[in-house]
Amino acid sequence: SPASPSPSKPLYLCSPFVEAALVKGNFKTIVVLPKYVDIMEWVAVNVFDFYTNLNEFYGVITECCTQQSCPTMSAGPNLNHTWINQDRKSVHLAAPTYIDYVMTWVQNLIDDENVFPTKSGHDFPQSFPSTIKHVYRQLLRVFAHIYHAHYPQILHLRSEPHFNSLFAHFLAFGREYELLDIKDVKGAANAPVGTGMLWEKWKEMGILDA
Amino acid sequence: MQPSGSRASVSSNRDKPADYVYFERTSAGFSEAAVHRAKAAQLKLEHYYKVAVDAAIERNTRRVEQERKLQADVMMSEERKQRQLLQLGKKESTFLRLRRTRLGLDDFRTVKVIGKGAFGEVRLVQKTDTGKIYAMKTLKKEEMLKKDQLAHVRAERDVLAESDSAWVVQLFYSFQDAQTLYLIMEFLPGGDLMTMLIKYDTFSEDVTRFYMAECVLAIEAVHKLGFIHRDIKPDNILIDKDGHIKLSDFGLSTGFHKQHDSSYYQKLLESGNAAQSPAAAARNSVMVNAIHLTMTSKDQIATWKANRRKLAYSTVGTPDYIAPEIFQQKGYGNECDWWSLGAIMFECLVGYPPFCSESTHETYQKIIQWQYHLLFPDDVHLSREAEDLVRRLITSQDRRLNVDQIKKHPFFYGVDWDVLRRIDAPFVPHLRSITDTSYFPTDEIEQAPAEAPVADANGAQKDLAFLGYTFKRFTISSQAF
Ligand SMILES: Nc1ncnc2c1ncn2[C@@H]1O[C@H](COP(=O)(O)OP(=O)(O)OP(=O)(O)O)[C@@H](O)[C@H]1O
Repeated sequence: SPASPSPSKPLYLCSPFVEAALVKGNFKTIVVLPKYVDIMEWVAVNVFDFYTNLNEFYGVITECCTQQSCPTMSAGPNLNHTWINQDRKSVHLAAPTYIDYVMTWVQNLIDDENVFPTKSGHDFPQSFPSTIKHVYRQLLRVFAHIYHAHYPQILHLRSEPHFNSLFAHFLAFGREYELLDIKDVKGAANAPVGTGMLWEKWKEMGILDA
Repeated sequence: MQPSGSRASVSSNRDKPADYVYFERTSAGFSEAAVHRAKAAQLKLEHYYKVAVDAAIERNTRRVEQERKLQADVMMSEERKQRQLLQLGKKESTFLRLRRTRLGLDDFRTVKVIGKGAFGEVRLVQKTDTGKIYAMKTLKKEEMLKKDQLAHVRAERDVLAESDSAWVVQLFYSFQDAQTLYLIMEFLPGGDLMTMLIKYDTFSEDVTRFYMAECVLAIEAVHKLGFIHRDIKPDNILIDKDGHIKLSDFGLSTGFHKQHDSSYYQKLLESGNAAQSPAAAARNSVMVNAIHLTMTSKDQIATWKANRRKLAYSTVGTPDYIAPEIFQQKGYGNECDWWSLGAIMFECLVGYPPFCSESTHETYQKIIQWQYHLLFPDDVHLSREAEDLVRRLITSQDRRLNVDQIKKHPFFYGVDWDVLRRIDAPFVPHLRSITDTSYFPTDEIEQAPAEAPVADANGAQKDLAFLGYTFKRFTISSQAF
């Protein structure tokens, strides 16, 4: 059972780190759609912020996330994500390469006036919601890899309250706007996502809504 | 999974949860850059959540207020109320879009360079996608760091950002690149009081009353925000399109630098004395030195006037309006701004500020010994009330009038303080277009194109110094940015 300590239990599920938080209280206040506000703008700016903030933290541990330390994009003991290349083939990539692809791809989308319009008079494209779901799934994988492979480094750098809150906020927001698939958050039974348990635990603790 | 290079152990302590883990932290395995980046990431995230919560609260307040206002209005149709709420939502949405918008220099087109300051310049710019007009002030990071102006640049941004007072120039955006900070402000097309004084020499007492009364309210507004301006001078008193005033330039001028760094003043004062010290005199014991060249006060004023604008552009700045307590290491409060007002009022009526001299260090000396140097010229007639008010402002800290006493002073007899900003101003700028710069000395300023940013290797460190500088204002009143 997840409650009994075992040597293989990930640190992020252990006390006191699992409770560490920069932001206390219910995320609802900063997650719910403000009244009368356009949902597209709200989702766009929040995804923009998640990307920016996550990128900031990944930048901290890039020197620890190398081809040698992370030859696969691992997110759980039996889970390595694969990248779909241009020929629609799924390929194994080292985590730093994979994450670099994700971050570059998202950055390009954000900078693309046709996807994330910023000029006055430009509207969001019809495909925006599905694009955002793709973005969300990939960012989730980056979070999951950092938790799975680099949490000790986060602890050494005393960043766990910050990183936990960012991730909890990300999950709360994803739930609210249905940007997350449960199976992406938890993974398959034989190949669970490590952070799937964190999600369960935070729900139990009341940090996230059930 | 066990982390490598660390010792994690499951606790046996009874009051701790069963899965309590002790983890020994060390930054030993990390590069200096990584440790620095971690700290930066933490600070940025803390800032992010503080702002996010504040923004949510403010947004909510705006909505509730609007809903209440509409509910109270029994005359308005339901349909129109609904439209107004949708309008509010639109503005909120545009504001969110703005947050995603990485504004840069290339979003603005320079119409003209309209002003110069110690750390950069002020341009009239047009935002390319909306066509809206703004004043853009640039500040060189390098210079600010070198001169230790960080606190001051934040102070300026804070005053401008926090206030939505009609008396303070509105700040809409601030952004930065590796070299430069940018403030995008409302453009005040009427120029400044210095330019006006250069043009008109003096004002009548009625006109002076109007500007001084507006300054009283403006300074009061700044004090109510919890700030002391410290550098009020005619260059910082701007004129809007209706001829009313607004204050700008909070804490950036070299004047401010000097005010904080009293040793700087000390040096200036000493350098003035050194020229007359026996040692210097001995070294230069040539006949020429014996001839003391004194200017008549008329010549002196002419020199001062000729140099006035040059002084405004220089890094030395003009000390003419600064209260003595500021460079005497005595400690000061917001009463120093009332001294400055006294000096400006003197200039409006007499044509030059009370302590103007050929050199800055002479001005300092005169200000410190103001008792001997505050002289009203015989050839200019001042009313008794006007002279009295000047004398009650240009006086020692403890005798200086406070804001309530100033408002009640006989010079302001008949001023209706509550409606001042709504009455007709004595000079209303005649503007031919929204980009009319005829009230600015644009031919005296070099019209160079804005420098494009270049990548900078130690940008990260500098950026952290300016963390939180970037700002985007939600504006209910004005159109979307
Ligand atoms: N918002 C504005 N609208 C119109 N003109 C402006 C605006 N802000 C500044 N100016 C013009 O630019 C000049 C310089 O601006 P400001 O005094 O803010 O610069 P500064 O760099 O702080 O200079 P200093 O520190 O030497 O006083 C002003 O005197 C005024 O003529």
